[in-house]
Amino acid sequence: MATLRDIKRKIGSINSTQTITRTMKMVSASKLRRAQEDLEKVRDYALKIEELTGRVIQNMPDDAHPLLTAREDVKKVLVFAIASDRGLCGAFNLNIGLQAEDFVRENGHLYERTGIYAFGRKVNDYLQRRKYDIVKSFVDVKKIDRGVVDVIAGHLIEFYTSGEFDKIYLTYTCFRSPVKQEIVFEEFIPISRADSGEEPIDYICEPERPKIAASLIPKYVSTKIYYALVESQTCEQAARMSAMENATNNCGEMVRYLTLVYNKRRQEGITNEMMDIVGGAEALRGT
Amino acid sequence: MLDLEIITPEKVLVKEQVDMVEAKGAYGEFGILPGHTQFLTAIEVGEIRYMKGGTTNYLATSGGYAEVIDDRVTILLDDAELAEEIDVEKAKREMEEAEKALKALAFDENQYKLMEMALFKAILKIEVASKRHL
Repeated sequence: MATLRDIKRKIGSINSTQTITRTMKMVSASKLRRAQEDLEKVRDYALKIEELTGRVIQNMPDDAHPLLTAREDVKKVLVFAIASDRGLCGAFNLNIGLQAEDFVRENGHLYERTGIYAFGRKVNDYLQRRKYDIVKSFVDVKKIDRGVVDVIAGHLIEFYTSGEFDKIYLTYTCFRSPVKQEIVFEEFIPISRADSGEEPIDYICEPERPKIAASLIPKYVSTKIYYALVESQTCEQAARMSAMENATNNCGEMVRYLTLVYNKRRQEGITNEMMDIVGGAEALRGT
Repeated sequence: MLDLEIITPEKVLVKEQVDMVEAKGAYGEFGILPGHTQFLTAIEVGEIRYMKGGTTNYLATSGGYAEVIDDRVTILLDDAELAEEIDVEKAKREMEEAEKALKALAFDENQYKLMEMALFKAILKIEVASKRHL
């Protein structure tokens, strides 16, 4: 049975845990704000680039650019999974891991090879432990910038054009609001030309359309990656903030409960002692 | 009137109705007035101007794309600065650094082209900044 001192020690340790989680919550709240600003900044640009690329490639032939050419025989597919390096953010990393895992488990038998490109230490470790085919991983990201994006875009384009993979999927967490994040799983390369139903636009192009497409498509790929990374980063902070908030609340609850137990136990001790004294006094009076 | 939007990855620089837009495309300078045909071009390093009610505003850019559909002009740029927001001191420093680097480099080095570009951009910024409204 826990003694009074044990309970007191436990309360103390929970209190200090609570201090830590509360601080972490505040830190991630301010990081979330900054990440959200970054996201706002790039959102318009990313959406416009996507729209523009869609319009430019809409009625282009399949062989106009290597990244547009869909292969008939899809044997090897790659999943580019974006999560984070750090934990303590609830199920954020796990969800992406599970998403990739589910995909491989359900569709693995259809393909010769299903590789994973992991972004973030946590998701990399998770999938590696479960012996999935990690083709490449990107960990220890200090800051998401153009350099990082260019490296990743280079890898992905190389994987596709060299024929190492025939299709590349992208999965990341998409930020809707600080309390709502959604996992996105989509086909990335080859770039699909969804028929939007709009009349293709007959531009006057300077230089010719294929030349514009040749420079626009890589830009689209890196913008998309950058956008996904920023989204994911924002979600990470939001997830961490709510995880830490929950932890702080749970600590509070636990401290309340333990304080109750502590007081009860103390009272019990006092009552017992009193009874001993009274009993002893009664016994003495009898003699 | 034209609906002009100039967007960079950093922020939306311009979103307003203007009378005319001019920029440097792949085949040289072009101007856009209301009623322009559907047009798509790559924007080169240079100056972008837009006129609104008699005043002209200037931007310096390092390139991107411009699209015109039904009097909507969307310009997506890698990097751009409004004349009013250019830090001239910084641009001058960049220019000096680029000049110094160029003197030290041999003509055939890869770096040479990059530095030449940097020098060009810095000069452009200073030039555009001089046109700002005081």
